[in-house]
Amino acid sequence: MATANSIPDTRSTPAPPKTGLLVSIAAMPPEQVESVFAGLIASFPADDLVIATPNDIAGTSYPNLRVVSTQATNAVWPVAPADFSDAYRIARERDARAILMLGPGSNSLAPSALRDLANAVLTSHSDLATPNYTLPPNAGMVNSAILYPLTRALFASPVRFPLAIDLGLSVRMAERMASAAQRTIALNQNDAILWPTNEALVAGLKIDEVDVGGRMLPQPAEPNINAILTLVTGSLFAEVEARAAFWQRPRRLQPERPPRPESHQVGRDIDIVPMVEAFRLAFSNLREIWSLVLAPNSLLGLKRLSIVEPSDFRMPENLWARIVFDFLVAYRVRTINRGHLLGALIPLYLAWVAGHINVIASGTSPETHIEAVAAAFEVDKPYIVSRWRWPDRFNS
Amino acid sequence: MNKFLATMLQTIQNYTPPPVDNGSIWQHMSEALRQSLFRVLSLLIAVLPGILAIFVALTLFTIIGMVLSAALRRGLTFLKFDERLNKNRANADWTPSSSPTELVARVSFWGCALLGLIIGVSAFDASYATGAALPISMLPYLTHAVGAILLLIAGTLVARFLARSVLIGAVNAQLQYARFLSLGVKWLVLVLTAAMVLDHLQVGGHVVEIAFGILFGGIVLTLALAVGLGSRDLVSRSLESHVERTSDRAYPPQADAAPNPVEPIHHESIRHF
Repeated sequence: MATANSIPDTRSTPAPPKTGLLVSIAAMPPEQVESVFAGLIASFPADDLVIATPNDIAGTSYPNLRVVSTQATNAVWPVAPADFSDAYRIARERDARAILMLGPGSNSLAPSALRDLANAVLTSHSDLATPNYTLPPNAGMVNSAILYPLTRALFASPVRFPLAIDLGLSVRMAERMASAAQRTIALNQNDAILWPTNEALVAGLKIDEVDVGGRMLPQPAEPNINAILTLVTGSLFAEVEARAAFWQRPRRLQPERPPRPESHQVGRDIDIVPMVEAFRLAFSNLREIWSLVLAPNSLLGLKRLSIVEPSDFRMPENLWARIVFDFLVAYRVRTINRGHLLGALIPLYLAWVAGHINVIASGTSPETHIEAVAAAFEVDKPYIVSRWRWPDRFNS
Repeated sequence: MNKFLATMLQTIQNYTPPPVDNGSIWQHMSEALRQSLFRVLSLLIAVLPGILAIFVALTLFTIIGMVLSAALRRGLTFLKFDERLNKNRANADWTPSSSPTELVARVSFWGCALLGLIIGVSAFDASYATGAALPISMLPYLTHAVGAILLLIAGTLVARFLARSVLIGAVNAQLQYARFLSLGVKWLVLVLTAAMVLDHLQVGGHVVEIAFGILFGGIVLTLALAVGLGSRDLVSRSLESHVERTSDRAYPPQADAAPNPVEPIHHESIRHF
């Protein structure tokens, strides 16, 4: 009787040479690819590298590099689920020990930053290495206002850029990300945003944060700030909802991190008046919708804020924390349509940005203010836990 | 002329009134009343089972709906349906305002109630057809009323949804007349709904059509004037930027494949990402 041989015959196909590091590079213009290659060659021995990229490297000065061609993704967010999936597949095929994922515009990273990110997972036994970018004070506002404080408060995560587009991954971390990516791809959600930091925290994997210096952050393909802010914030809220069982447990806060590198001070010539005006317009028109979502105290705070002069405009940290938490609860209980909800958050976010610009223009360092905001979120965590369980109660 | 007048006078003189038969009048009246009563009673007898059938079907199916809804709610909660679904469709565009379990339970309940109503109305319709020899003008509206109520509910929900969408979108586009625009859209949909409901009920005929046309056209013209005059600059800027984006995308071959990185910050502006 013929039986199927369940053990594959591996002798006929020679195993590919072992690789130290797989570098997955996002699609970018040829001159940027050239620059990234130069940085990699300066940091790692060429024999240890395999590059996975959708870029055409025929015209570059590095034809000897081992390159695997991948499919370019056309997602709104620079790092798509398919990128994680492809990276893990190639790493497994090439028997790589670690993966370095570089997003668009990564040519602006210093070679030492590439080396440090990769070494964090190659030699330090970390599973996830996230970069800590030194950005100008007027950049990365969504991250500073919502992503960082919320993930730090709920997940007790010290990672400053939880949605970084450059990452160092161990193979087991890559496997976890690939399986998360497969789930979204199977549901035809190729534009979904994955949250590596939360994934690692839930799995109990070790995370390292690496100071990588300055970087040019790419503009998302979607030019409309409203659409992209809604996409990113909605994705984080959905992530928080999916991981509710994890973050509601009391968590020990991470040990104090050494002070982060300070970016240069912003000039006073940023015009915050349009943002303040946008907030005032929204206050006069969207109060009815906000009143469905926000606690009475928060509404009162916003009313006071609406009559403040632009020069003195500042969103109190605890008010901002309450607003984000209330919107998170409304997202969960679907008080109103989720698209409407996230749209109604935009003017409040602009008000926070206007306040932040005023604070740093007054001499406070941006990082100090952002840390104060994150601390306010942490202090108010019992509020979100309570409202998450009993959404009808406004503990104002 | 004289001949005509003479003939008329002769006719009047020759006229003898018909004999008055008091008994015959009462007979005719009582006969007419009896026939009317008979007609109404026959109709009621013909229709009563139908009305009863509506109530029985509605009650029965409502009870079935309640039981089914409760069972589904418990079953889906036990199976953690919401959590599983949320995990699988984290970024889905369609986000209803109730949890999936609650939505399934409600749909099952209202589905049963609607089924009961349809069965009851069709039973009523059948029993009405048997007594159709004696038409009552109000009865046909009963069957149309169900459709009209559904139309009204759907129209009101759509109007509210669109009004909120327009309000939030207009506020985020910093249009000063956001509330006015939102109200315009809301009334546009409500007027359309009202016209559809009246048309479905076959009330008003051409008057409704003409009134709807005038109102709808008036609202559209008002909104067009408001947008055209109030935000001429905004519209032209928006069109210009759209044309620029389109022409930018037309030239580089890989522009769609790779998001363009931002230029280094040379000026003091806000970068949200």
